[in-house]
Amino acid sequence: MTDPARTNLDLTRRRFLQGTALTGAAAFLAACGTSGTSATPNAGAPSAAAPSPGASDAPQVEEPSPTPIDKTVAAELQFANWPLYIDTDDDDSTKHKTLEDFTAEYGTVVKYSEVINDNNEFFGTIKAPLEAGQPTGWDLVVLTQWMAARIIRLGWAEKFDLTDMPTYTVTLEDVYRGPDFDANNEYHAPWQAGMTGLGFDRKVTGDLTSSNSLWDPKWAGRVTYLTEMRDAVGLTLWNLGYNPLTVTTEQFDEAVAKMQSAVDDGIVRAFTGNEYAEDLVAGNVVLAMSWSGDIIQKQLEKGSLRFVIPDEGGVLWYDNMLVPLGSPNLYTAELFIDFVYRPEIAAQIAAWVNYIVPVKGAKAELAKIDEDLAKNPLIFPPPEMLAKVRPFKSLSEEEEVYMNDQFSTLIGV
Amino acid sequence: MGSFLHRHRSAIPYLLLAPGLLWLVLFYVYPSFQMLITSFWSGTLETGFTFSLSNWTTYPEALERYSTQFGRSILYSATATLLTLLIAYPLAYAIAFRGGRYKNLMLFLVVAPFFTSFLLRTISWKIILGDDGLVLGPIKDLGFLDPGFRVLATPIAVISGITYNFLPFMTLPIYVSLEKMDRRLTEAAEDLYAGPWRPGGTIAGAIGGGIVGALMGFSFDFSLLPAIATGAIVGGVGGTLFLNEAFVRVTLPLSLPGVFAGSLLVLIPAMGDYVNATLLGNPSTNMIGNVIQSRFLTNADYPTASALSFMLMIGILAVVAVYARALGTENLTAGRGA
Repeated sequence: MTDPARTNLDLTRRRFLQGTALTGAAAFLAACGTSGTSATPNAGAPSAAAPSPGASDAPQVEEPSPTPIDKTVAAELQFANWPLYIDTDDDDSTKHKTLEDFTAEYGTVVKYSEVINDNNEFFGTIKAPLEAGQPTGWDLVVLTQWMAARIIRLGWAEKFDLTDMPTYTVTLEDVYRGPDFDANNEYHAPWQAGMTGLGFDRKVTGDLTSSNSLWDPKWAGRVTYLTEMRDAVGLTLWNLGYNPLTVTTEQFDEAVAKMQSAVDDGIVRAFTGNEYAEDLVAGNVVLAMSWSGDIIQKQLEKGSLRFVIPDEGGVLWYDNMLVPLGSPNLYTAELFIDFVYRPEIAAQIAAWVNYIVPVKGAKAELAKIDEDLAKNPLIFPPPEMLAKVRPFKSLSEEEEVYMNDQFSTLIGV
Repeated sequence: MGSFLHRHRSAIPYLLLAPGLLWLVLFYVYPSFQMLITSFWSGTLETGFTFSLSNWTTYPEALERYSTQFGRSILYSATATLLTLLIAYPLAYAIAFRGGRYKNLMLFLVVAPFFTSFLLRTISWKIILGDDGLVLGPIKDLGFLDPGFRVLATPIAVISGITYNFLPFMTLPIYVSLEKMDRRLTEAAEDLYAGPWRPGGTIAGAIGGGIVGALMGFSFDFSLLPAIATGAIVGGVGGTLFLNEAFVRVTLPLSLPGVFAGSLLVLIPAMGDYVNATLLGNPSTNMIGNVIQSRFLTNADYPTASALSFMLMIGILAVVAVYARALGTENLTAGRGA
């Protein structure tokens, strides 16, 4: 409507709308431009090197003249980890003796956050700053080997100066040395290794031994599978008689179809990350695909929980400490990694966490603390148990995208 | 300065709008365009993404692939909106008309859950609704329920979670609308022989109850006929008892702006919600929010995630436009009420 008393400023509604449209168009063009450059840094780093993941990755991220690391010990270290993954005081869940020992020796306060529940979920939170070349806010993160491989491939992990880490270079178990994604072990350091198997409440289900129970209609609605594709598919592959280490696309499709039938029949209650542990304690779930150490720790709250590697086979994996690119405290992180690779500290952690220790000499140290734990097969698996578990095959990007896509459809997203 | 402003006083409204518009442009218009551009990308995380207009096919593909989740989101959020309306309207009515001295206390109690984080409230529902938890445990012990019965990981839990989380958003606008209504209008209506609405109240109640029953039956996976029948009976009884003409002809139309605002505040966030479906649901209750989260975080499939977000936004706009037309609130807010 026209205002009869309009002045000469002439800011009519039409002019105003035109101005807004121009602003929007400018934003549009700006967005166009930004997407171009934001796409290329992604494409730049990995595609500058050989696109095939695997052998040639270490040389790809080697800088011609590495900038020297600032060798001052930081006041704080931001450490992100999975739940139930470090020795915790029984009475006060915020106190961790290993971290306190580190502080006593170096003076650095370790800010420990159990924020990682799922590799992809956590990757989603650090991806944006890493892409933009910003610090993520974390100095140390712990991620499973395939996610560590992806981060190293993308060039988003800080390189260690191994001369700062004498203990680590000596005590790292041989089986973890020289994986295809990091030939010199200078971008990642194994934290714990573990196995995926069955976790159950034996008061309700009795003693289960076979992964067929995961498809048993008797437990319908009280079974959970894992959102971790490699673990869920791995257990199913064993159940079908295939080896996860040599999985083919056809075998994968068969495994997904089998899990789909369990979802359709209402057997699977949910696909979870670490949440299955709480559900087992609460009694909502009686059988879950579980990670080896979790159940032992939850036995404190519910004595009838048990963990077994299914007769058909389980999945082996290991989680690794990485320093995200841009962390200002690389030297302190290196000191921490070196610290936890001392056999006595590794034994201290293992005594609580109950996962497989990647440190030589830890078994002897653990025997000094607790004889029974040193004999615990979940911490130091005997050859018969190791024979039943295999890691999931290291995937190419195409395979990974395809498998993630199919698995996402399976879990209903 | 003063006379400068006076001469250009027709510009003042735009100047006042400027900060808000700037915020909108920076945090809404620009990101929306960015999202639009992203939806025309193709590629993967490690090999990089490239823009191309020929990638418009992402939209129909995404729509076809996730049509179930889209439909489910609309269904669940519509049911949740209706349920919040059914709970919030009597609540707001009681506070506005019968609150008296306790009005402020009651309003505080309505808002009090917001003092806890949204996530914690939903997780607490997981504990409350646990299979052997606070509610179901005693009932099962008494033998009224089969031990295999559960509420968690069903559509009931998800919709209840959404209803609970968004209830204050519906209560407060309706309360405000009712509060500022002129009470003398209802008095006048009663003076003019407005009494219990018979048989209209019964019929309207029965029809309304039947529709609610059908919607709930459909989204909760109950068998439809008993659900509709129960809804119709309950609705009919409620309509007979509570609907009188003064309410229907005076109070209800005047409170419609509040109902409209409250419905939008519940419907729009509920359509994109994913927390309730994650914590309280199962693989077949996933909503479009879960899909977008999965596409974005797990699969790094940014084009599809952006396309889905954009379609969700357009979808919500369409639903709101239809709803606004249906309710015809433009006439109601034109100053002709209290």
